[in-house]
This record gives sequence, C-alpha cells and structure tokens, in this order.
Amino acid sequence: MIFNLVKKDLILAKRYLIFMLVFAIGAPIYIEIQTGSLSGGFLGFVITVLFVLYMLFNTVSMSEDKYQGSALLSATPYTRSALVKAKYIFILLIFVGSYIIYSITSALVLAHLPMLNISTLGISLFLIALYFGIIIPLQYQFGYEKVRYISFFAIFITPFVFPGILKWLHSNNISLQMMLPIPQGIQDLLPFLLAVLIGFLSMAVSIRIYSKKDL
Amino acid sequence: MKTVLEVKGLKKDFSNFSLQDVSFSLQEGCITGFIGVNGAGKTTTIKSILGLVLKDAGNIKLFDQKIDQNERELKNHIGIVLDDGYFYEDMTMKEMKNVFAPAYSNWDEAVYKSYTERFRLQLNQKISTLSRGMRMKYAIALALSHHADLLIMDEPTSGLDPLVRSELMDILLEFMQEEGKTVFFSTHITSDLDKVADVLILIDKGRIVLNEEKDTLLDTHGLIKGDKIALDDHTRKLFIRLQETRYGFEGVTNQKSAVRQQMKGVLIERPTIEDIMLAYVGGDEDDL
Repeated sequence: MIFNLVKKDLILAKRYLIFMLVFAIGAPIYIEIQTGSLSGGFLGFVITVLFVLYMLFNTVSMSEDKYQGSALLSATPYTRSALVKAKYIFILLIFVGSYIIYSITSALVLAHLPMLNISTLGISLFLIALYFGIIIPLQYQFGYEKVRYISFFAIFITPFVFPGILKWLHSNNISLQMMLPIPQGIQDLLPFLLAVLIGFLSMAVSIRIYSKKDL
Repeated sequence: MKTVLEVKGLKKDFSNFSLQDVSFSLQEGCITGFIGVNGAGKTTTIKSILGLVLKDAGNIKLFDQKIDQNERELKNHIGIVLDDGYFYEDMTMKEMKNVFAPAYSNWDEAVYKSYTERFRLQLNQKISTLSRGMRMKYAIALALSHHADLLIMDEPTSGLDPLVRSELMDILLEFMQEEGKTVFFSTHITSDLDKVADVLILIDKGRIVLNEEKDTLLDTHGLIKGDKIALDDHTRKLFIRLQETRYGFEGVTNQKSAVRQQMKGVLIERPTIEDIMLAYVGGDEDDL
C-alpha cells in the first residue's frame, strides 16, 4: 500500500527526474574539481543529494499544496499515517538512488570522483535526515507555503557554508571521522543509527501532526 | 430498512462556523439529498464522515461500526466524489487511477474499464485538461469501481451543464438498481433531487433543519398564492415564509389544511424542493 504512495510522489516529481539524474552525475564531479577533493567525495555527494532531494521533494510538496490530493487519498482506505510514511520512504529512496548514481559515476571516472567510504556515506545520510527530519514536520504543521522560505534559505547557503567548514577542518587537521573511544566499526555505524533515529522520531512527530489536521 | 450510516451529535467548531449537534441516518436503498445553501455545513459534515475533518464530539457509524475505529475496512464500502475532485491535475487519468485503485481491497478493473469506455475517457489525457463534466465522470468511474455500498457525493453537479447533470442522475438511478446500495448526495441545486431523491435532509447554519421523505415533504407543504386581503395577523402565522407585494402574496406553509379552511380564494400549489428549502433557510417575512 505504501509503495503506491511512494510511486505517487515519484509521478508528481517525474518532470524533474531526468534533469536530476543528469545533475546527480555531473554535479559531484564539478564540486570535487572546484574544491580540490578535500573531502574524499563527501562534499560533492552531500551537496548534490541535498539539491536533488530539495528539488524533488519541493515539487511533490507544491503539487500536494496546489491540488490537495492527499485529502482525496485520506478519504480512501489509505491512512494518514501511510501518507506520511511514504514521504520519508521517498526521501530514503532518492538518497539511495543518488548514492548508486554517484558510485557508478565514480567507478567510471575515478580520477575525478573518489568512492565514498562507509563513514562519509553515514554522515551524508545523517545530514539529510537532520535537514528533512526538521523540514517535513514543519511542513505538516505550517504548510508548504510558510516553510518553503526556510527550506530554500537552508539549501541556498549550503554550497557556501559546507566548503568553508571543510577547509577549516582540513587546515586544523580535524578529520570527518569522529574521535570517540569506541571501535571503528561502531563509529562508522553511528551516523547511520543517528539518521535512523532522527528519521523515526521525525516520522512519529509528522504522523502525530498530520493526524490532527483538518483537510 | 437497514441503517447504513448513522451520524449522532456531530459537533465541529471553526472560528467562524460550527456544526451543532448534527444527527441523521441513511437507510439502505435510498438516495438521500443533503441540501442547504453555500456555507450551510454540507461539506464539513461530509468531510467529518470521511475523517477529513476531525469532529469535536459525536459518533459516526457505518454498518453499526464506528468509522474512526475501523477506518480502513469501512472505507472500502464507500465511494467518494468530492467537490472539485481533489485530483493531482498534473497526472494523467491512468496515473491517478494507479495511485487510487490499490487503496481498495475489492477494486474491479473490469468495472472501471467499462465506465471509462462508456464515458469515452482517454486515459492518457491529463486531468487538468478535462472539462468539468468529464472530470465528474472520471470521479464517478473511480468511485464506483470497487463495489461501494455507499456512494457519498459532495456537490457533484455544481458547475455542470443540464445534460451532464441529467446523465449523472441516470447513473445514480442505475447504481441503485443493485441491491443494498445507498447514495448520500449534497447539493445546493435542488432541481437535481426532484428526479432521484427519496429522502431530504436540510442543513442551515450548521444545524439540521429538516429530515424527511421527499414525497411526504412535498405533500405536507404548500406554495400559497393569493390577494393580500386574505392575510391577517392570524393567517400570517400559518406560513413558514411569506413574501408580500403591494397587491398579493406568495408563501410556503406546512399547514395546508388550516390554510384551506381559513384562507378562501387562495391558490395552493405543490412546492418545489427549492421553495421548501428557501422557506426554511430564508428568514421570516420578506417584502418584495
């Protein structure tokens, strides 16, 4: 049942899907060349996936806001909870898709685009979970129109802020890897676990907000 | 007759409007017209039944089960046509159906296909390019393709030309041929109900004003016309609504026999549903 709702979001975003596919191939290479591969592919990947998700998620949200199709679907046996869960699965699906595209691109042009290691992939997922984990409940609470300026501003500043932070970390010899007194394997998994935790918490909050909305 | 839907003590407060203690029931095999002027509370009531608007108080039962406690199972029995469709207009009809249909455990693709062929719907056409009439037909095709027992329609005829409205009425009558079917149909265009409705529920300012079989309602009410001379303080009280001109009057009464006895020389006509609706919601006396 939820799969059909995820499919619905993909259909709503379909006019940008091809463009985003091209973007997901080209943007990481461009960013890595511009930043001199300081981050081992992290910067190129995370900025790209953030933009891809922002574009596609916003396209879906705009359609939902304009046509109120969720109201019709909520009147069917689809539950409101399923509608919310589908949004989070949609984000995860696009993230995984972007990672696959990145990996294939990296395999083809390794000289310009390093493969992501498990740790940078985890941190990327953590950052995406953090961003959408805040934006989605806000959007359910206040509506697309009110929240879109916040989300636009947050996305707009990332290409300026992220490289600066990474350069600073690099110049101070601080690694992206966390320095915790725990085994490396667990350290690598920690961002994934945090991302999952944020995702589930955010989803629970969104379901609670949406279940109390008049449609 | 079996009760299909029961609404009891429904309340919903908005800042500028409220539903107040709305109670009624729908009987199996009946087309119930839900009438009232714009803003009377029809859509809010329907949205409350469908769980789109969260009620502040009251119970809504479908087939004797609370709808909010058995939502998924019970909604399989309801076909819905909402005002304006609420479709994703950038989708084609085929795409929208592919999202809509899997919600229902008893979706029947053959029935859907027969409706789309009958309505000559081009399934690859974008919903945004459909005329209002075609959009309504598409909504009907979606609503009737999972063997719904209760069809709920919110203002389906609003903005449609008379031919399409008449076609819709025929579809409703056809739907009712099958045993165990029920229709709940909100409209402010009361002429649509003359042909098809069995029961009428009138809502005004968030309250149920009338709930009666259509024929009983039309038989017990009269549209009275006559010279002004027939009116005095006593006979004026026999009218629910009275409109007076310099020479004559026209009014609606629910005391036909009293009018016959006490007002000689007046004309007693059968009212339309609209006459009755306006009598109950239009205020007391209006001078023309």
